[in-house]
Amino acid sequence: MYSRHTWVGSVARHLLLLLAIAFAVFPFLWVLSASFNATDSMQFQKLIPPTPTVSHYQELFGERYKFGIWLWNSVKISLITSTFVVALTALAAYSFSRFRFKGRRVGLLGLLLVQMFPQMLAVVALYVLLLTMGQFFPFAGMNTHTGLILIYLGGAMGFNTWLMKGYFDTIPRSLEESAKVDGATPFQAFVKIILPLVRPILATIFVLTFISIYSDFLIASVVLRTADQQTIPVGLRVLISDQYGSRWAVFAAGAVISALPFLGVFIVAQRYLVSGLTRGGVKE
Amino acid sequence: MKRATVLILGLLLIAGLTVVASTPGKLLIWADDTRTPIMQAVAAQFTDAYGVEVEIQQVGFGDMRGQLATAGPAGEGPDILIGAHDWLGELIQNGLIEPIVLPTAVVDQFDAVAVDAFAWGGLIYGVPYATENVALIYNKALIPTLPNTFEGLLTIAKGLTDVEAGTYGFLIQQPDPYHTFALHSAGGGYIFGLDANGVLNPCDIGLDNAGSIAGAKILDQMVKDGIEVAGADYSLVTGLFNQGKLGAMIGGPWTLPDAQKGGINYGVAAIPTIMGKAPAVFVGVQGFMISAFSANKVLANLFVKDFLITKDVMLDLYDRGGRPPAYLPALAELSGNADIQGFAASAANGTPMPKISQMGSVWSAWSDALALIVNQQLDPETAMKNAANQIRTTLGCPSQ
Amino acid sequence: MRDSFVLRNSLKILGLGLLCALAIYAASSLFVSGSYLLAALPLISAGIITYIFLSKRRYPIRWLVPGLLFLFVMVLYPIGYTFLGSLTNLGTGHMLSKGQAIEQLVGRTYAPPGAERYAYTAFRNPAGEFVFLLQGRDTVLVVGGEGETITLPDARVVDEDGDGQPDRALDAHRLEVREIIALLPTLQEVRIVYAGVTLGIDSLTEFRVQMSKYAYDETTETMTDLENGTAYTAVQGIFTSAAGEEIYPGYRVWIGFTNYVRLVSSSAISGPFARVFAWTIAFAVLSVLLSFTLGLGLAILLNDPHLRARTIYRVLVILPYAIPSFMTILVWRGMLNQNFGVLNQMLMSMFGAGARVPWLTDPWVAKAACILVNLWLGYPYMMIVALGALQSIPHELYEASHVDGASRWQQFRKITLPMLLMPLAPLLIGSFAFNFNNFNLIYLLTGGTPPVPGTQTPAGATDILLTYTYRLSFEGQRGNQLGLACAVSVVIFLVIATISAINFRMTGTLEELSKNV
Repeated sequence: MYSRHTWVGSVARHLLLLLAIAFAVFPFLWVLSASFNATDSMQFQKLIPPTPTVSHYQELFGERYKFGIWLWNSVKISLITSTFVVALTALAAYSFSRFRFKGRRVGLLGLLLVQMFPQMLAVVALYVLLLTMGQFFPFAGMNTHTGLILIYLGGAMGFNTWLMKGYFDTIPRSLEESAKVDGATPFQAFVKIILPLVRPILATIFVLTFISIYSDFLIASVVLRTADQQTIPVGLRVLISDQYGSRWAVFAAGAVISALPFLGVFIVAQRYLVSGLTRGGVKE
Repeated sequence: MKRATVLILGLLLIAGLTVVASTPGKLLIWADDTRTPIMQAVAAQFTDAYGVEVEIQQVGFGDMRGQLATAGPAGEGPDILIGAHDWLGELIQNGLIEPIVLPTAVVDQFDAVAVDAFAWGGLIYGVPYATENVALIYNKALIPTLPNTFEGLLTIAKGLTDVEAGTYGFLIQQPDPYHTFALHSAGGGYIFGLDANGVLNPCDIGLDNAGSIAGAKILDQMVKDGIEVAGADYSLVTGLFNQGKLGAMIGGPWTLPDAQKGGINYGVAAIPTIMGKAPAVFVGVQGFMISAFSANKVLANLFVKDFLITKDVMLDLYDRGGRPPAYLPALAELSGNADIQGFAASAANGTPMPKISQMGSVWSAWSDALALIVNQQLDPETAMKNAANQIRTTLGCPSQ
Repeated sequence: MRDSFVLRNSLKILGLGLLCALAIYAASSLFVSGSYLLAALPLISAGIITYIFLSKRRYPIRWLVPGLLFLFVMVLYPIGYTFLGSLTNLGTGHMLSKGQAIEQLVGRTYAPPGAERYAYTAFRNPAGEFVFLLQGRDTVLVVGGEGETITLPDARVVDEDGDGQPDRALDAHRLEVREIIALLPTLQEVRIVYAGVTLGIDSLTEFRVQMSKYAYDETTETMTDLENGTAYTAVQGIFTSAAGEEIYPGYRVWIGFTNYVRLVSSSAISGPFARVFAWTIAFAVLSVLLSFTLGLGLAILLNDPHLRARTIYRVLVILPYAIPSFMTILVWRGMLNQNFGVLNQMLMSMFGAGARVPWLTDPWVAKAACILVNLWLGYPYMMIVALGALQSIPHELYEASHVDGASRWQQFRKITLPMLLMPLAPLLIGSFAFNFNNFNLIYLLTGGTPPVPGTQTPAGATDILLTYTYRLSFEGQRGNQLGLACAVSVVIFLVIATISAINFRMTGTLEELSKNV
């Protein structure tokens, strides 16, 4: 679908993109500038701070907040969860794509529908669940990262399975058939032949899961109590939860830094997201 | 066969494990981020004196009530929490807090209004430590002498307002019932009236009485005169004030630290008479409460009564929060403080913030009415009548 | 080959055995602690898993087990829990279980007028029994919970070092402050009956009168106030006297489908329902369509191998996704402020003071603002998904159509869009459902405002079904009505599930599945 651009086409493309970027970036710039502004109020900041200061960043990493720990917790929880989600989803999607079994269609539809339940009140149930789990397995109870990750894994399938199954469907069966002739089990064929071919979709799901976990506030705030265990959204919210006395600038500084890990993950993953190379293997 | 062996092994494993239960003998305190450091210092003293471990968990002030409702009954909640008196209705109805028995000699050391705020059904449910209420806070550089009447204030305000230049004379953050109540109350507006026994009657709603509507009309006129502007929320009003671009505002003690940081020469005073009558502001009280699910009630009482009710702790709390102490010996210490006197003058005609759980239905309807007035989408009389009727509907009271 | 088969199978059986053991352990402990509903969970899941792994016919399901396991526990259980909650009167005044409420009431104490405080000295004998010396109006020696009036000096109380403080009472030695502290969990339960009143420990130094306030009779479900004799009977989860006086706390009781009946029959809900529902649908549909269009457009542009600086562009357009959304929604709220927001400030400086857009105060503009902000938040997701899906379209299709002389637009219409919609349709439907329930955006951006004049209940112009009904349940007659809120969740879930199922039929997404392998 893509061919070399004419001069006009090229300029038009870049203009379109610049327009989109202006839309995308403006609020972000606003946050960025707030984090360097001396004033602690959103309305009075200037886009270019008159007296820029890094004091808000210093405060963030100072004694009062445990921002470094929050950052590490967030990254750790998001990375572990995303890895497991990709694994669980790949297994499920492969089964839905390759096997025919009773309840398959109902299962696929059900997977999607249960995700539509409004989550806000379900957190009370999750609270009780974790409390109970913690009585038997203290490492997976309230205020633990393991407990939180287990809850996140509950939402692993759903949309992701559909997305991945759609991708699996486009890969010819003949590839595994030939592997099976060579004596491989279905699982071996899946790991050795199929997975390398579907790297773009694995990367997609990894990125999507990473950010949804990374920015989760609702569930994390219920599970994680103490400052040592909290993630960035939960920790930072304290700064703006007080109706009369929000620390807007410090909050903005936290937001800016919190964007970096996700951007890092995205920059690594985007090569796989769009690598046309993997498709080459499918050509016969 | 093999499977059976594994099952038996598993069952043996079960017998060897026991369930871990929470252990009494350790105090857990919930405080928000302003009060956490002070509590930590007191906790260290307590541990030194009695060898009892005390843990302070930082919980957002706004999140505390909700978290207590889930954590308390589950045995995960705190022994002591720091909250506001208007939570009382909800917390007591839900069985989450415990009465505190204070000897008369101790009660007498507190501001009577503050103790009364924490009283419910003849029992005291919290040890008050600070009162808070709004007052008129003005910039002395812009308003050197304060007029005696609200009408006079508005005249000055109109002169100071220059939207093009970004300067304003007088702003009340909007839509915000708490800060606007003074306008309604001056003419006799109220939220809930009292019944024959002196108890709040949730079906006697006074937000659409003549006085309340008169107050709404003043707000409406302020908008029409260009004094009050839409979009003036808390951070904006205080931001303008701290930059010296606002003559006066209605605000609480929590606004002062930033005004000081901004180098503003400010004054705190009672809100001047409106239509010749002194307006009432809401008085809120903050204090220490003990959880009904505490496993350490005596210990918690000990911590509150012997370690928190001291002049030093009360003064520390004042230093960090800026709210006037409810503990009289600490308040006496601050008698020379002009800010505290200003807030006290405003509170002299105050009314306690209603603490019944029906308040939840009031705020949103009332706030909607104010928004409609400020946005000039509805006339003040209709807006207030509408709001009062919305509240009557949600509370199941007969409409008027 | 054979060896590995045997090894694999024995590993499998070992694993399943361990799993079952673990499940039985968890279930039995849960059962003992009284969580019957939770106890069934590990047993059922372990049973199903064992069956699946031992049955050849269920081979395809084995692949699903890991994901399904979490799904059942972490998604379906909360749904069931919410449904059960919707059948109760859970809410302010009814948060505790009946047992908890009774325990609390029975533990209440009162002090009759003129009740006295006693200073105490506590002793403990080698057998661990407590002896107290109380000093108030009388001096009382307490042994075995019974008080006896004495006059000091008494032979049973001995001051060994002569400092005026008794050191021993009978065979018991005085407890120091730290010892009392350590024993408080036990001491605070001690009750002493003396002179017709009950005394309990109040502090490190004092006993005070603590008479039981209530007594509960299980057979008649009656709570009696021992101070004045009033009887309270259980009415809908709260003890109520004949005169209608209630004592807190109440407790939760099953009330069947009452919450659902209230939802359906309440005029507060049916009144603005049509308006709120229409806006909810419009908001969800427009959010999905616009963010998909923008996301897909960007994906196609950025997928172009000939485009320079692709990586930088990609990173920049993904930025809205990188900051947790509850933060950026608040930023937008500030930027959209009518008089002071940066957007209007910029517009006014360019076009004069008349160019002030009532972003959040005009009903229609506020609706548009909600969609605009949601577009900003939503398109990166669509872009990433579309980028991934674009990779699955075989190049040959484009090459073939190129040979046939198709224009780029035709290629898009005939190849790209259909090939993308096939895997993405379910995601679009899912995204529709997500936005249908996008509580956070509405709540943080507008809070449902601007208000609509003249409504019977506070339903704002941008309130969606979820924000409106939750508000009704949380600001009700007696504060929170969690039971009602649970019913709201269930009903909204049914509504959105039905709409989605219809969407699936209409787009033929499900039918597509069976054909394409």
